[in-house]
Amino acid sequence: MSPKMPDGRTMRDGQPVSARLNNVVTTEREFDELVTKSLPELLDRATSQTKRFLRETNQWGDDITHEKLALRWGYELVERFVVFGRTEVPCRPFFLLDSLIAKSFSQPDPLCYHKELLTPVGRFLDGLASRAVVSRDALIALFYHFYGFSQAHVVKLLGFGQAESQRVYKNFERWRQSGWQRTMNETGLSGSEIEILEQELRTRPDHLNNEVDRLMPVLQSHYRKSEPEHYPCLSEQKWGQLFHDDYGHDYRVWHLAFCRDCFLEVADRRHAEVSNGLKPQVNLHIHPLKKGGVLALFGGDRGGRHHGNTRAQRLSRTSA
Amino acid sequence: METPELNDYRAHLLDALDDQPRRAAEERPGFLQVLVNHERIGTLNCAQTDPSFAYTARERSIQHLELRSESGALIGGCVAPEAGQKSVRVPVGKGSLTLHVQNHFDGGSLRVQYEVAPGWWSQLATAIGLPAGAAVASTQASPVWSMTTAFAQVVLAVGVVALLAERIPVWIGSEDRAHQLEEELAARQSTQDQIDQVHRQLAQLVESQAAATAVSRTEQDRIAQLNTLIDTVAHTQQRLNAQVVAVQEDLKTVKTDVAQEVQTGMRVAASAVEADRELVRQDLQAVKSVNETLVKQVALLESRNRELHARLALTSLEVAKANASSKPAVVAKNEPPKETPAPTAVAVSDNLREADRQAFMFWVAFQDGTTEKSIEDLVQELNGIKKGPMKSGWYSVEVNLPNPEPPDRFLESVKRAKIVKSVVTSKAMPPAQ
Repeated sequence: MSPKMPDGRTMRDGQPVSARLNNVVTTEREFDELVTKSLPELLDRATSQTKRFLRETNQWGDDITHEKLALRWGYELVERFVVFGRTEVPCRPFFLLDSLIAKSFSQPDPLCYHKELLTPVGRFLDGLASRAVVSRDALIALFYHFYGFSQAHVVKLLGFGQAESQRVYKNFERWRQSGWQRTMNETGLSGSEIEILEQELRTRPDHLNNEVDRLMPVLQSHYRKSEPEHYPCLSEQKWGQLFHDDYGHDYRVWHLAFCRDCFLEVADRRHAEVSNGLKPQVNLHIHPLKKGGVLALFGGDRGGRHHGNTRAQRLSRTSA
Repeated sequence: METPELNDYRAHLLDALDDQPRRAAEERPGFLQVLVNHERIGTLNCAQTDPSFAYTARERSIQHLELRSESGALIGGCVAPEAGQKSVRVPVGKGSLTLHVQNHFDGGSLRVQYEVAPGWWSQLATAIGLPAGAAVASTQASPVWSMTTAFAQVVLAVGVVALLAERIPVWIGSEDRAHQLEEELAARQSTQDQIDQVHRQLAQLVESQAAATAVSRTEQDRIAQLNTLIDTVAHTQQRLNAQVVAVQEDLKTVKTDVAQEVQTGMRVAASAVEADRELVRQDLQAVKSVNETLVKQVALLESRNRELHARLALTSLEVAKANASSKPAVVAKNEPPKETPAPTAVAVSDNLREADRQAFMFWVAFQDGTTEKSIEDLVQELNGIKKGPMKSGWYSVEVNLPNPEPPDRFLESVKRAKIVKSVVTSKAMPPAQ
């Protein structure tokens, strides 16, 4: 029977778990067992290195928001380490984690760090956009959270056919069931913070939407680099041609979700097919679209926005 | 910073990490997102007939490769070397993904292929030795359950026949026993045939199982060999690491020794320089004292020099006095005495200098056959005075030169006279001919 350490952590071969992370692991099974037991050590190591990076790049503030940011990045690094590490045995787990972290932070502009993104609304937007880079569910949901577009409107806006429409509906469903909550949890937004955001959206919708409108270019310019390099912003004419000739479906989703200007241009161009004729605008939604909810798309013209009580989100039950 | 909120967040993230393998295992292969260096580059549809995905990067090599489900769950991936290749096999659902990355320094290529795991029947068929195509065809034509069902039906039929053979004679009576026996025999025969067939099939199955077991053993042996190889590599790596550590320690020792030697050398050199500096300082002090002595001697010599100058002046004065007293006697022999004021020593010397500046005496020799008259005419022409008689063919002549005219030009003009043979300016005595 393995002896117990004072903190309850098991020992094997007379060594604590953290010491074994410095030794060579020779098989995938051994790697999985060791990593499963030492997740706290790995997370703390990745977090402390993220803090060091933030300090050295003068991006650190001694507050809980920065601590959460470092934890979030440490978590993402450890998640990759757990999966990639199995392919690197034999290896020394701590050394491998350090090299993975160093490689990540040596990328150009690895963190989306902006002081104004540390507010609750900034963190909410950052969490959504960051998740959308790796999750198609979150990507499709951006159209709702940023502009209030429902599944049907997304399908019409993007000009999708039957098969792609079904995928969009599936994306919305999965996002509603688990994706949104997981994203909020992993972003570090507590229930009370989300409540405060909801409250502010009810009382001062124009203020919050203006804030979102201001922060969106900062976010999108960082996360838009996740699309292939040959996907630049298109001219109005080329957008028209793309929809007319019916190609570049993947590009439509990725670029329009991450580029406000192109989205507004395309939505404006296609508003006859998509909406009731009013122009699209930024229209923040905190929670995911409820099941069966249908939204009236655009509330007010772009010159004089009307959110809040006059905001044209009208939910109606159309299906079970 | 430790706050309950932060601790909760950390605990939640640890739970999510703990749950990650389960979530990845639950994902069914459908549309997989391919991310290279944290950028999404496309999707792989595992439902296609030949699900594969290829990508070529032109500027940067493929360093991070991630495969995620549509919901964002990380299914698999790898870190590839900056130059070189890497192949990885990742199990996904009942199939597996084969990732192959080929990198060079300014780009790379990627190939991802999804393979569905073959069914047990096709594995069995492969073990038996049936061609792969036949195995696939039989897999498609007769599903797994069809063979099992057939076997169960045969066993059930045998059981039913045996029961019937036992019960029917009781029900029918002994009259039909012969007929029943015939039927029973026929049924037994049929059953026996079927049992033989089942036996044959079982024997084939046993053979297949033995073959499969042999293959499995071979694979286990290979895996054992691979494990041994990996252990050897690990030991070698450990030894290498130990050697690296030893070399590093040696390097540290060598560095320390070199530093000590350098410090000692520096210290010796500094002391030598200090000694030299002390010697130079002593030499400088000696030179300084010698210099002071010399200065004193120079001062003494200068004072003596001044005394000597004073004595010389007195001596000059006495000499001038003596000259002044002897000269009138000499002149008295040749010329009438001139009235000269009684000069002091200084006045005499001034007059002599004045005479030097104004009266210019030179000696001149004339051509042979020159008459005295011609000589007298020339002397008169020069406004000169012959001083004394001719000595050895030389006449001494004194002229009063005008101040601006230099003596050389004057002599040149004298030389141009036809009767003049030669001119000299030596005052001491006429030059010898």
